[in-house]
Amino acid sequence: MILVSAMFFPGIILRTKSIASGRRGPGILQPLRDAGVLLRKGSVFSTTTGLIFQIAPVISLATVLCAILVIPFGKQEALIHFEGDFVFFAYILSLGRFFMIIAALDTGSSFEGMGASREAFFAMLIEPAFFILMATFAMFTGYVSFTDIFSNFFITSNHYVLIFSIIGFYIFIQIALVENSRLPVDDPKTHLELTMIHEVMILDYSGFDKALIHITTWLKFAVYGSLIYNVVVPAGWNIYLQIALFLAVQALFAIIVGFLESFRARNKMNKNPKFILTVSAIAILAFAVILILNLNL
Amino acid sequence: MVIYLIIMFAISLVYFASAERLVTYIRLIGIQGLLLCGIAILELIEINTVNLIFIIAETIIIKAIVIPYLLRRITKVSGVTKVHRQAMPGFYLVILSVAALFASLILSWSLRNPYVDVIYMTIALFSLFTGLLLIVTHRLIISHLTGFLIIENAVFIFSIAVGNEMPMLINIGILLDIFVGVLILGFFGLRLKPYVNELTMLKD
Repeated sequence: MILVSAMFFPGIILRTKSIASGRRGPGILQPLRDAGVLLRKGSVFSTTTGLIFQIAPVISLATVLCAILVIPFGKQEALIHFEGDFVFFAYILSLGRFFMIIAALDTGSSFEGMGASREAFFAMLIEPAFFILMATFAMFTGYVSFTDIFSNFFITSNHYVLIFSIIGFYIFIQIALVENSRLPVDDPKTHLELTMIHEVMILDYSGFDKALIHITTWLKFAVYGSLIYNVVVPAGWNIYLQIALFLAVQALFAIIVGFLESFRARNKMNKNPKFILTVSAIAILAFAVILILNLNL
Repeated sequence: MVIYLIIMFAISLVYFASAERLVTYIRLIGIQGLLLCGIAILELIEINTVNLIFIIAETIIIKAIVIPYLLRRITKVSGVTKVHRQAMPGFYLVILSVAALFASLILSWSLRNPYVDVIYMTIALFSLFTGLLLIVTHRLIISHLTGFLIIENAVFIFSIAVGNEMPMLINIGILLDIFVGVLILGFFGLRLKPYVNELTMLKD
């Protein structure tokens, strides 16, 4: 399901942006066609790069595919689930990012080093938001794995579930935007290297490897979309309804991203840490609330 | 339902720490007024009806309409749009705001008693600390005024928490509202407003 929805994700974002700006724009399948063209091409590697640069895109893709394995779908358990699997989820994604960062450093380009530094910094700032949110969910449900948390999220007798559902929805969207380097933190369409974050890291990639990087980004979006789905749709509903709702939530998520990118200005680079920290602050607030409610203070 | 409004109120406090434009401050003050009105309606259902209607009208008219309108007038007349230029960066202010939230939580836990809900006390203290933070970290007098409004909202929340037992406290909170209204009107009456320099130099 995540793989299917990931294929259409960038197309829906592009289509939304086209409609919002009054253009006809490309079709939903255009990014897929572009990726197909890139996949059929070979890769060109600079003589200054080493093995790390060549294997980083594949490792990055592999880490996202591994992360998908721990995400449940409705009442269906995740393919791999164990206590604390959300820690595994966060750090397997970090591993992919780590390889992309050292690959950027491997090129020896000062621009790519700058982008790598920014990417590492922003990823470090957004990580607490994810962990605090998951700690909140863990306290709320009494479980510590994605599968248990999400399958018990709506069936607890706690009638404050809507609070955590809304906060989870908001925070996962913000995390997805930061993790995928989208507006307002980064602009994938920017043409000035000095203002880039993620795009400047992958400037030296071409052909097949560039396609893998794009596919990884789409998959990451779909992964966060499925987390959003799990916090807004109760796990106990009919499976066919769940499938339809899953696709609807993913499409809605892509449309939201498209609208945000159409109507929102990009932050100044020095404002990004504050923006990201605000997301963490809201997660902490949710944690404080669950602390008060759970401890019956 | 009331807890949803309280959490939204707390989120608005977090945004105060990260906001940079006065127009955002003014919007947040207006939103807080509406949220406080909602909290008052849900929480003070047991008090005298006339008193309740008065409180609701006061929160909507004064907190959500008049005070934001006056603040907007001040920003238009003075031409000040940014909250601060040389004060503490917002990044640190957000960190301090989170620290204030934890301090409020610990304080309200240690001061807990059967008459006041801990969540009310936490958010009231958080609001108080946020107001104080705005006052001590900003240089513009209008930011200080906003900080004072937030402190006043903290008093109002706390008075609502014990409003059914001690309705007189709510009236004291409303008196503070009127005091703030007069203070803001003073910017017009005393002609403190027109020069940006005058608005920036108070703390020097």
